[in-house]
Amino acid sequence: MNETKAPEAPDAPEAPRKLGAKAPRTRLSKLFDNRWAGLAGLLIALLAPFVNASDYALSIMTTAAIFVMLASGLNIVVGYTGLLDLGYAAFFAVGAYTSGVLATRLDLPLVATVPAVIVVTVIAGIVIGAPTLRLRSDYLAIVTLGFGEIIRITANNLPVTGGPSGIYGIPSLIDSKAGFYYVTVGVVAIAVLGASRLGRSRLGRAMRFVREDEDAAEATGVHTYKVKLAAYIAGAVWGGLAGVLFAGQLSAISPNSFTFLYSATVLMAVVLGGMGSVPGVVLGAIVISLLPELLREAADYRYFVFGVLLIVVMLLRPQGLWPARSKEALK
Amino acid sequence: MTQLVWNGLFVGSFYALVALGYSMVYGIIKLLNFAHGDLYMLGAFTGFAVLSALGGVPAAMTLPVLLGVLLLTMVSTGLAGVVLERVAYRPLRGAPRLSLLITAVGASFALEYGMRAGAGPDPRVYPVRLSGTSIEVLGARLTLQQLVLIGVAVVLMVGLHLLVTRSREGRAMRAIALDPRTSALMGIDVNAVISRTFFLGSALAGAAGVMAGAYYGKIDFLMGFLIGLKAFTAAVIGGIGNIPGTMLGGLVLGLLESFGTYWLGGEWRDVFAFGVLILFLTVRPTGLLGERVTERV
Amino acid sequence: MRSTQVASLVAAAMLLAGCGQGLLGDGGAAQQDDKAPIKLGMLVPQSGSEAAIGPYMTNAAQLAVDEINAKGGVLGRQLELKAADDACDAQTAVAAANKVVTEGVDVSIGGYCSGATLPTLPVFGKANIPMIIPAANSQELVDQKLKHVFLINGTGTQQAEAATKWITKQGATKVALMHDNTSYSKDIAVRTQPLLGDKAVITEAVTPKESDYSANIANILDKKADFVYWTGYFQEGGLIIRQLRQAGYKGSIMVADGSVSPKLGEIAGAEADGVFATMTPIPDTLPDAKGWIDAYTKKFGSAPGPYSNQAYDAVRLAAEAITKAGSTDGAKVISALEGINGFSMFSGPLKFTPEHTLSAGGFQILVWKGDKFALQDALS
Repeated sequence: MNETKAPEAPDAPEAPRKLGAKAPRTRLSKLFDNRWAGLAGLLIALLAPFVNASDYALSIMTTAAIFVMLASGLNIVVGYTGLLDLGYAAFFAVGAYTSGVLATRLDLPLVATVPAVIVVTVIAGIVIGAPTLRLRSDYLAIVTLGFGEIIRITANNLPVTGGPSGIYGIPSLIDSKAGFYYVTVGVVAIAVLGASRLGRSRLGRAMRFVREDEDAAEATGVHTYKVKLAAYIAGAVWGGLAGVLFAGQLSAISPNSFTFLYSATVLMAVVLGGMGSVPGVVLGAIVISLLPELLREAADYRYFVFGVLLIVVMLLRPQGLWPARSKEALK
Repeated sequence: MTQLVWNGLFVGSFYALVALGYSMVYGIIKLLNFAHGDLYMLGAFTGFAVLSALGGVPAAMTLPVLLGVLLLTMVSTGLAGVVLERVAYRPLRGAPRLSLLITAVGASFALEYGMRAGAGPDPRVYPVRLSGTSIEVLGARLTLQQLVLIGVAVVLMVGLHLLVTRSREGRAMRAIALDPRTSALMGIDVNAVISRTFFLGSALAGAAGVMAGAYYGKIDFLMGFLIGLKAFTAAVIGGIGNIPGTMLGGLVLGLLESFGTYWLGGEWRDVFAFGVLILFLTVRPTGLLGERVTERV
Repeated sequence: MRSTQVASLVAAAMLLAGCGQGLLGDGGAAQQDDKAPIKLGMLVPQSGSEAAIGPYMTNAAQLAVDEINAKGGVLGRQLELKAADDACDAQTAVAAANKVVTEGVDVSIGGYCSGATLPTLPVFGKANIPMIIPAANSQELVDQKLKHVFLINGTGTQQAEAATKWITKQGATKVALMHDNTSYSKDIAVRTQPLLGDKAVITEAVTPKESDYSANIANILDKKADFVYWTGYFQEGGLIIRQLRQAGYKGSIMVADGSVSPKLGEIAGAEADGVFATMTPIPDTLPDAKGWIDAYTKKFGSAPGPYSNQAYDAVRLAAEAITKAGSTDGAKVISALEGINGFSMFSGPLKFTPEHTLSAGGFQILVWKGDKFALQDALS
């Protein structure tokens, strides 16, 4: 690079270092806090197909990207607001089925179903959240689990959703696999950025306040119920939109994809990465979705190794791989 | 109608036995022990291994032999629960509660697929079966072995209840559930009591596993998953952490399923059971016998 | 900052340079090598709820591959089996399908769960790979009229017709249909019900993987059924037979092909005696298949199970089609498959319908006697 131009270089990337200077930290955590980390992650995602664009690689990378979106949506509910949701796959299913049914019955392109998906998931979020968000957390967990099962069984029993074999022949957003991957990465990047912005907004602070101490939040004038409902609806919309991508990727959906185990897997990604931490959750989602694929060669021992690894990782890093750090605390 | 009630109660007593372990562990360290259903599976397989090793059992000796196997299995499953707690849960006691949930899910995977690697994916069939003639009581058909199993379940549950409410050990458990730090200051060995809680809860799940194996005959490595889910639900219905409530919750869930199948057909049964559960919890948010507690995080 | 930029540029350059398989590379197209083995892809569940089925199918396929290789292979090339786990789940199945496509398989011979097989159809279709599906048989697989999809298991309709024939022949008047709410099982029940008309008094769905079905059975006894047809798998089937008898049910019981396994009798115990089954010909009922069962048992230490024979036939059929086509080219193999007439399989001589399903389902009625299924009625 040209020496003379150096002083003109934007100093924006210096900002995090200044912030870090107040509280001495390790080099590693400085790197983690660098806001360019997100950009670097995006760059890796964009460049990955240049390394390996085989159908297999594209398929698992697309799956991982969709999983990142799900995890960042659930992170709003569990990570920011502290509401334990064991039935998150319900919203994923609602989104996938709404877009799948509309696209196949009315011959709509997949993009055209997005507004309907948003409306339906918001309604689903309100219907499930409104009566249950006053419950204490363990009961909320079982209620969300129950809703997850109800949605899956209903999809399995109704003719309009294709019964147990589900819906097939859903049009993709774009014909080429690499193209679909890039569309997915783009949508997911926006979703992750949105979730991260939401976390830093006024509403996001209120959510964290609710998580830390609900009574104190209520006492200082935060309408906790409204905040919880907002978090729940945001999570529902994120999940629903991920469902649209899912339907587009697979072209066929069936109730088998939305089991309780799937909800638990998304939750695992959030906790493993570090609850409330956007980069952590992204990392956790990538690890959880790619690990079983990487362990495919272990065949019979695949899920055994997966389970043992989960335990080991949590024992070594109980706060998650990339924990959230409260910025407010530093000021 | 009486048949429906009886069917529901019978299934419900299995749910209750498994749910008790869930509830006790939750009550004392606020952990949703996801791997609990898999201890039920482990119990069933342990019983299977012991019975297979014994070879043939004369018909007259079936019941005593099964009771012996039951005890043996309870001990070994209980120890497995203790080891699980020691390895996967204790090191994380200060960590966020949800981190524990992850290790529990991990332990569940490890147990299920470890068993699959060891015993194969095929279902196994118990070499010894409880079989007997059925009798009619109040218009319901029930069999002698069902009565025996319910009897065993009741004895185990009453024993547990007495242990928790009457003994020194039980008082220590209740104290830890209320406030672990103060209990430690009062001279209670918290770790030892938690270990024993795991032992008891896991032993009950193991007992339920052997009973299911001997009654239904078929066992497989994923058999614990669904019943674990059901037991969790039962524990919440009754009021999680509350022992009589949990037993009641198990029976109520069994009845809900039985009547749900009758009224709406098998495919809507779980929708009915969960729907009632959700309605019920919104009306009475602490479960049947749970106490109202203000939640502190 | 600058160093990060430089580093990422360097990294990007390295990535671009090292890309054989990347977007800018040659796409990693499978090389046509005259000596390389012909690869057969096989997606079956090896984990998850249906994990028990996988080994029955892969073992049988491996047996066929070894036998063909021992005779010199196909077109002078060896066969190689590439099995992958689909976990009976759509997402895993699509990843697995893409994996075997990337590994350069020439023919797909897998497919057990219909729900997991459906989303893999376009994956193989785009890669121009013919699919011989040994087990999955839901109507949706053929409704799309895809050229590369061939089903060698009897369809739900064919099985429903066979079942109805036998039920009528038995003179049953109140028939209870039981399914487990999976697509395979529900399909048979839903197709049998209209054929029976008024005689079908109840259709009962159970939740698979449970142990206690007494509530469902109470419903059936309530309707005073004299014939029960279970269309699900053997794990639940064995329990249901036992619990039906314990609840005092005296009528006939019949199970569908998913329940035809030695394990059914093992689970049900003595109560299995006299249970009928709708099934395509199985090794047990074929006079000349004794050797096959022995070979399988000797090699894998256990008897063949559900869909072992279909998986075995799928490999042989793929080999036959490639031989006829004289190449592994997708289009040529597909027309070879369409042209096959009278190829001998367990289910009888093979000829595909224009829909790419078996022209004759070949369903027979078996009966459980002592410790295995025996032929009761060939229904022809």
